[in-house]
Amino acid sequence: MQTIGDEPVYEVFARRAEGEPLRHVGSVAAPGDALARVYARSIYDEESWLEMYVVPRRAIIAVGDVRDEAVDAHA
Amino acid sequence: MSTPLLDRPSALPGGCVSPLVDLVTALADNKHALGLRYAEWCSSGPTIEAGVAATAMAQDELGHARVLYGLLEELPGAPRRSEHEWSAADARTVACVDSPFAGWPHLIVANVMLDRVLATVLEAALDSRYLPLRQRARKIIEEERYHAIHGQSWLAQLAAEGPEVRAELAAALRGDWSDALCWFGPADGGALRVLVDAGVLGAAGDALRARFLAQLAPVLAAAGVPGPLLGAGGAWELAEPLPWDRWDERARRIVR
Repeated sequence: MQTIGDEPVYEVFARRAEGEPLRHVGSVAAPGDALARVYARSIYDEESWLEMYVVPRRAIIAVGDVRDEAVDAHA
Repeated sequence: MSTPLLDRPSALPGGCVSPLVDLVTALADNKHALGLRYAEWCSSGPTIEAGVAATAMAQDELGHARVLYGLLEELPGAPRRSEHEWSAADARTVACVDSPFAGWPHLIVANVMLDRVLATVLEAALDSRYLPLRQRARKIIEEERYHAIHGQSWLAQLAAEGPEVRAELAAALRGDWSDALCWFGPADGGALRVLVDAGVLGAAGDALRARFLAQLAPVLAAAGVPGPLLGAGGAWELAEPLPWDRWDERARRIVR
């Protein structure tokens, strides 16, 4: 369990209208997926988003690492 | 043949108006008071995100109260309320919103108890024959989904902090228990029975209490704060009788 105040970070993505790209709108810290959804809804409510998603930051893979690996592979 | 909708107050059966006024007044007053209590935690939640979520729930509750007060304005004999003139003196509220929450665990218990009790009653109005109530209930219930997720998630989070916090949750639960469970009315619905018979409300009394407990009991059991409940075969029963001798049905609260 996470200590309160030391929760994992979730990145928040949202789309305003059909056909528009998902935009990164911010981040929230939450102990789990359910509260991350609640927090994202309450914090980033400045627009009537068509869709909104939360993604655990730990699930996001930096492309920089891939490039370095690719460069390494060709070395 | 489907039952016709009642689209205006004058279409309501005569015996329905007074119990509907009492119910909507109590729903709105409790939502208004709950909104004010949530708002007191806007800048003092355990995290910034929690404070913002409390603010959003406060806005939701105050908005729901305003919508329900609008419903009252159309009904004959309803008490006058407005957000500017609202006073707690004659409010039909339960005890847990009489004074500020003693701590975050108390807010969370009110979130899983009072907030969900009011939502359960409004869910029973989603197919109401009385169109003005049905339309308002739909909008409110959509927002209440997030309150439910908030309460359940925080209860689990707090309970996992250890026995001290669980004891605080259990004490808050005991304090809120009778008001919350009696709110649905006695076994047959009591004063709400006439609304059920007329199709203005889908259910009341034991039927609504069972729906509420079916959602609440597993959450409490998983958190290790079981409350006075007996579970057997997927059904949940109260381990202790409710104090109906102290239940004020018109004010919808326990007399203390």
